[in-house]
Parts: sequence; C-alpha cells; structure tokens
Amino acid sequence: MEGFEWLRKLRSSMGKSKASEPDSTWPEWYQRYFRATPNKPADEVPLEELPIVIIDAETTGLDVKKDRLLSIGALRALGNSLQIADHFEGYLPTPPDQQDARAVHIHGIIPGSRRYDYLEEEELMEGLLEFIGERTIVGHHIGFDVEMINRALERLGAGPLRNRVIDTADLAKRIQPSGYWSPPEKYSLDTLARRYRIPLSDRHTALGDAYITGVLWLKLKGRLLEKVGRDLVLGDL
Amino acid sequence: MPNQVSRRIYDFLKDLPPFSFVKEEGALLQVAGRVEVQYQPIGSIIFRPGEPPRERFFLVKEGAVELFAVNEGEERLIERFGEGEVFGIRPLLAEDEYLFLARSAEETLLYAINTEGFRELLPNYPELSSYLATLMAGSTRSALQVKARQAPALIEKENLGGPDLLDLQTIHRAREPISCQASDRIITAAKLMSEHNIGSIIIVDKKERPVGIITDRDLRQKVATGIKSNQELVVEIMQSPVICIPPSITVADVQIEMMRHKINHVVQTEDGTDKTPLTGVISKHDLLVKQGNNPAILIREIARSQSATELRVLRERAERLLSLYLSREVSISFITTVMTQINDEIIRKCIKLSLARMQADGRGNPPALFDWLALGSQGRGEQLLRTDQDNALIFEDVPEARYPAVKDYFLQLSSYATEFLNDVGFAYCPGDMMASNPNWCLSVSKWQSQFSHWMHVNTPESMLHTSIFFDFRGVWGDGSLPAKLTAHIFSNLEKPSQRFLSSLALAALDNPSPLTFFRNFVVERSGEHKDQFDLKARAMRPLTDAARVLMLEARQGSVNNTFRRYELMAKLEPQNAELYQAAAEAYEVLIRLRATMGLRRNDSGRYLKPSELSRMQRLLLRNSFGPVKETQSLLETRFQLNFLR
Repeated sequence: MEGFEWLRKLRSSMGKSKASEPDSTWPEWYQRYFRATPNKPADEVPLEELPIVIIDAETTGLDVKKDRLLSIGALRALGNSLQIADHFEGYLPTPPDQQDARAVHIHGIIPGSRRYDYLEEEELMEGLLEFIGERTIVGHHIGFDVEMINRALERLGAGPLRNRVIDTADLAKRIQPSGYWSPPEKYSLDTLARRYRIPLSDRHTALGDAYITGVLWLKLKGRLLEKVGRDLVLGDL
Repeated sequence: MPNQVSRRIYDFLKDLPPFSFVKEEGALLQVAGRVEVQYQPIGSIIFRPGEPPRERFFLVKEGAVELFAVNEGEERLIERFGEGEVFGIRPLLAEDEYLFLARSAEETLLYAINTEGFRELLPNYPELSSYLATLMAGSTRSALQVKARQAPALIEKENLGGPDLLDLQTIHRAREPISCQASDRIITAAKLMSEHNIGSIIIVDKKERPVGIITDRDLRQKVATGIKSNQELVVEIMQSPVICIPPSITVADVQIEMMRHKINHVVQTEDGTDKTPLTGVISKHDLLVKQGNNPAILIREIARSQSATELRVLRERAERLLSLYLSREVSISFITTVMTQINDEIIRKCIKLSLARMQADGRGNPPALFDWLALGSQGRGEQLLRTDQDNALIFEDVPEARYPAVKDYFLQLSSYATEFLNDVGFAYCPGDMMASNPNWCLSVSKWQSQFSHWMHVNTPESMLHTSIFFDFRGVWGDGSLPAKLTAHIFSNLEKPSQRFLSSLALAALDNPSPLTFFRNFVVERSGEHKDQFDLKARAMRPLTDAARVLMLEARQGSVNNTFRRYELMAKLEPQNAELYQAAAEAYEVLIRLRATMGLRRNDSGRYLKPSELSRMQRLLLRNSFGPVKETQSLLETRFQLNFLR
C-alpha cells in the first residue's frame, strides 16, 4: 500500500481542514484548543470588539527548519488598550546543538542561564495555546513566529495554529506604502518603533517585543482609522 | 514576578509624582504590573462630566490631554496635561462624578492606573495623599477661577470695593463687637455669627462684661462633630476667660498678648480687664491688616518721611502689601491704582527733598512753574515693582535770556531727585531717560518741537523714544504743562499723520506673540536668556504699543493705563469691544504674572522660565497670547501695514 501513502496524507489533511472533530492522535491540550476555536472571526467583526493576542517569539536563528524557539511572550489587547497584567511569558532551554554564540548577542539569552525558569516545549505550547484561545494573533513579521510555533506543534504531534493572523509590518506598509526605493528594513520593528516613538529599552526579550508590537499595533490601528474614516472591521486589515 | 514590561512601566512611574512618593519598590512594581496601556487617537474623549468614576486614573505616557469645563455646551479649557502628568484622580479620592471633559489633544498613550491597589497605599505615605489632595484642590479651584472670569463685573465689586483707598481702610477697620448672653443657646450664637459674617462672638454677662468667646473652630470641633448639641448653652463650649486689653494699646502689644496666650482674638474693654463692659474685639487678621499693610497709612507715612532711607523702608512695606494683594487675587486695576499712588507719593517726596536741598544750596525757589513727567510704565500707572526710573521735567516757557539759568536750576533739581529715587530703589535708567539729562529737561515749547520731531522723523530711535515719552504723566504740578504737550501732539496729528501712526503701529508688530506655550515654549533665540521667555517684549510691549497708537488715532489723551485704554477703546469701537476687552484682561494677567514672579525672585520679573510657572499661570499666560496676536492683526489691517513691510 506504499503507493497510496500520499493519498492517505492528502485525505487526512483535507479531512482535517474541514473537520470540526479533533483528531484523537493529537495531544489532549491541542484537542482542547481545537474545540475552543471552531471558526475564525468574520470580516464584519468590529475591530474594537475583537479580542487580540500579541505574540513575539525569540529563536536561535532565522532558519525555520533548523532553528528552535527560545522564548515566547504574549499580551492581550482589546480595542485601544493593552492589559499589562494579562500576559504570557515562557522560556525554553537552548538545544545543545544550537548553543553557538550566533543569536546570543541578539536576544541576550545565554544558553542554560539560571535567570529563567525553563519549561519543556510541550508545557510552553500548552500554556501558549490556552492563552491564545480564539483570539486573533497580532505580531511583527508574524509569519515567521507562526511558522516556528507550527513546527514546534508538529514535533509534538499537534496540528497548527488556527487563528486569524495580522502582521503589523503589513499594516505599516499599508499606512505608509514603500516607494521602490525604500529598503526592506524600513518596516523592521526597530525602524517602526522609532518612527512611532516607542522606546526600545527592552528589545529582544519576547515579552518586551510583544509590548512594543502591541503599542505599535494600537498606533497603526489609529492611523488606519484616520485613513479609512469610519469604524474599522476585521476585513479592513 | 515582575516581567520586563511591568519593570519598564515601573521605571517610568518611579520618578513621577505621585508615584515617586511610594518608597517601596515592590508595591509600585505591583501597581505597574496592573497598568492598562491605552491608545487615544487625537480628539478621543477619555471621560465626560457627570460620568460615574471609573476604577482608574490616568498618566500621560505620550501626547497631551486637555481638560474642559463644559457649561451649556460651551467648552472652556482648564488644563492641559503633557507627558508624565496625572489626571482624572477624582475616583481615587472621592466617589464623585467627573467634573470635566477630558479629551486627547494629540495622539496620546495613557497608562490607566487601577485605583484598587493604589488607594491602599495612601495611608502608608502621607506625602502621597497630600500631593493628590492638592492636585485635586487645584483643579477644583481652577474651575472656580474659570467661573470667576466669566463674571468680571462681580469680581470688581468683591475686590475690596474698587480703587478708593479710604474704602479699603474702612473694610479693614476693627469691627464692633458682636456678643450674646451666657444664658443663650449655642444655636443663637451660631446664627448671630453667620448673620454678621464673623468668625467669633463674645459671651457677656448681664452687665456687658466679657466672660468668654466662641470661635468658628469651637463650633466646628464641638458642635459640628456632635460632641455638643446646638441646643445647649453657649457656656458649654465657650473658651474662658478671655484676654482683655485696654482701648489704647499699640499693635505690637496686642501682638505680644496673642502670642503669649496662643490665641487669635483679644477683647477690648473700658479699662482692659474683664470687670468692665466690652468695647471692641481685635482678631489676628485685623492685626495683620493694621501692621502697616494699609495703603492710606503708607501714603501718609511717605508724606511724613524725612529721608530716602525711610522712603526705601516704606517702599519695601508697599512691596509686602503688593505681595499680599497678589496672593489674595485682588483685581489688577485696584493694585495698580494703589501702587501708582504710592509711587507717585514717593516721587513727590523725592522732589520735595530735592527742593529742600536746592534751598540749602542757596538756589532758592524754582524760577518757573514745572512738572515732573513720569514716563514708561510709571507714566502709564502700571509700575508695580521698582524698575528703572524713566522720567523727564517740563517747565513753563521763559524769556530766552533767562532760559540757561532756569534750565540749570531744574537740571540740578532733577539730579537730586533722581539720586533720591535711586536711593529708594528705583535704579538709574541705563538709557539715561531721566530728567537729569539735559535732553529731557526742557521748556514747554522745546518739548513741543521735540515731540514734533519724533512724529515726523520716523527713525527707529524716534520710535523708541515715542514708546517711552508718549506715555508721559505729570505727577508734580497742576497738570497744565503736560496738557499743553498733549494738545500739541493732537494738533500735530491733525496734519496728515498717517505715516507716523503707521510707523507706531508697525513697531507694535515687531515682536510677534508666541502662538503657544505648551511644551514647545517659545524662547528667545538670542543672548543669555535662551531658555527663557521675555514677558515684556513678547507679550506686554505689543499690547502697550498697540494701545498707544489706538489712543492717538482716536485722539484720546487722558488715559494712560494700558488696560483702561483698551476699556475705553471697547466703548469707542463697539464692533471690536470683545477683542479690546480680551486685550485688557490679557494685559492684567501679564502684569499680575510679572509682579508675582518679580517679587518671588526679587528682580524685574521680565524673563520667565516655563518651569517656574504653575500650571494655571502657564495656562493664563498662554491664553493671553491670543488677544496679543489678534490686536496685532487689527493694527495690520487698520494701518495697512502689509504694504509697509
């Protein structure tokens, strides 16, 4: 039956995307998350009422295949406010084969440092999915973070994130489209934070970046509101 | 465990009042950890008057928030908050509704601080509570001030009865004693006190002899708290015995009695003991007023004084009086009248002392009729602080042959007078615009040609002299000599004089008023006062210059005072009345601010740093820039100055 392996895979993936039933092979915590996220919010949902979670992940590098998550920070937002008390933060130990100095100077997480209470990857994912729930995910160049999280989920035998995702970099481009001359780093978090007057003191801790992204999100949303000239709905993004 | 985000917020909070009063890092970190970050696009309403309090107050992280009093749909700006300032603290201290409308004036980021978790800290840090109470009292007071500004007529009446020195004296006169019988009930005494609007009442026996006293404080502490019923007899709460003084006793003696017994009231009886009937009562407040802080007495003492040294002491007392008036928010029109009379009296005294010296020199009596012209701010009757003296002397025309001798007499007289004035504390004018300068000690006809020259040769120097000399005011003679000068100026204006008036108006535009004052405080780019604001050049002078040219154009010579000039203009041009009224009010604000700052720093008060001003002062100052600008535009249109520039 070896030749039909691809067909089984295809079927199961098609089935999965349509099914509202969780796969019993998934870890129990992912099944819970799956049940909690039956459908994505519709385009008509007013942005003011949309529960948001802002996520930032620190990784050992930028290669989604090779590199690993080091920490994740997340904050919840609703309307025009961020609740500081309502946050998620988790650290993973640096994998032994990733302990080179490459990323250390960026995120400042020293492999095996005792400064953090480390979690197992599974604990981290379980906590994260519970924190995210059915909220819409906002992040900066969030595609990368989502991909890193999805790969971690896959390693744990779970399905991918099912939430709607908004990229603040895309939003910034819409508000201030780049000319053909503008360099790509124009939309980096650092550049944008500077442009929107957000102090950068805690850059490169996951929660610190999530906070900066959160403030950026509030500000960009305000600019978009001005541009669109009426109350924003999810479809505007 | 504190995370980086709450740590970041903590770092922002820890140096700012009221948070800086929380000395315990852990407690403040907890507060920081519960902050809600709010983004407010420009123009968003944060709360409205009448809304129930929310469980939070606000700190501006970025941007600006404005607070408005809303009255019949009309908004009046009360305060403006910038980065690092706290507002909306009402829910923290009182379960009251919001009084004001708060709206973001810029794109704003707020930290909403949970009152729960913060209120619990109040008892631990007395400084914190008192800071917040002051903050709230300040904003309530500003609401009252705003209301007061809406009814200027009312204020004028309340401010010690207008610019009559005798009135002020009567108000501060020690009052007739109000008394009640020992057999009266507390309620009767309280009613009497409120009826007569007094803070104390004397309890007397059947023979009108004082047996005790009840003050406001006794009522508050013993009755309002419920310790005693107001149906009980006055003897239950009165303080006894009372301290008695005889009718003839010096102020110093009364003061000693009060200090010795730690009391605020003494009672006057026929023989100074409680065995004779009551004749009067003196409170500590009455005493303060009596301590020379009475302009009429001060003026009398100036007239009696024998030396510049004495005058200097008296002028210093006048300055304390000024400071008292300023702190009590007495109207500027009253203050300037009082201070001008005091200054005039000092000038007259200095001239008298100089005349005496001339006699002693063997030069005899003045050889001709003369008058002393006060110039500049003293000429306008607006000088509150002792600034440099600006003055001139005018004498009647004398035959050519006598002229040199006459002039020489007056020059010597002036040099004595300016010296006396300098000793009193009015420093010599660095520009030598003084009567002792041969150029500014002239006969009527020579002054007339001098004024004609200024009016026809429009050099910058002429303009400068015009701005100082045209506000002349005679303080010595019967006014006939200055009147000749005024008549001459107006007859000169009959000829085509548009060019002169236009140049004057143009000079009023030299210093555009700053647009705003908030955060981007306009500072002088030149010289040592880089980080300061030149109140005189940027706000006051444009208004005085404009008022002068408007008065000249309207051929009005009798009014010198800038805000009275605007008030007169408002009557002459009803179509512009609102602007002129605003200009008059703005000028009063500026005078008050300058005097307040000058007294505080013991200088001319001319240069201001934004940091030394209270929030309200900043707001009032900023609000005065509007009328300055509008007055300048009015001149620009009226004198078609855009073609000249």
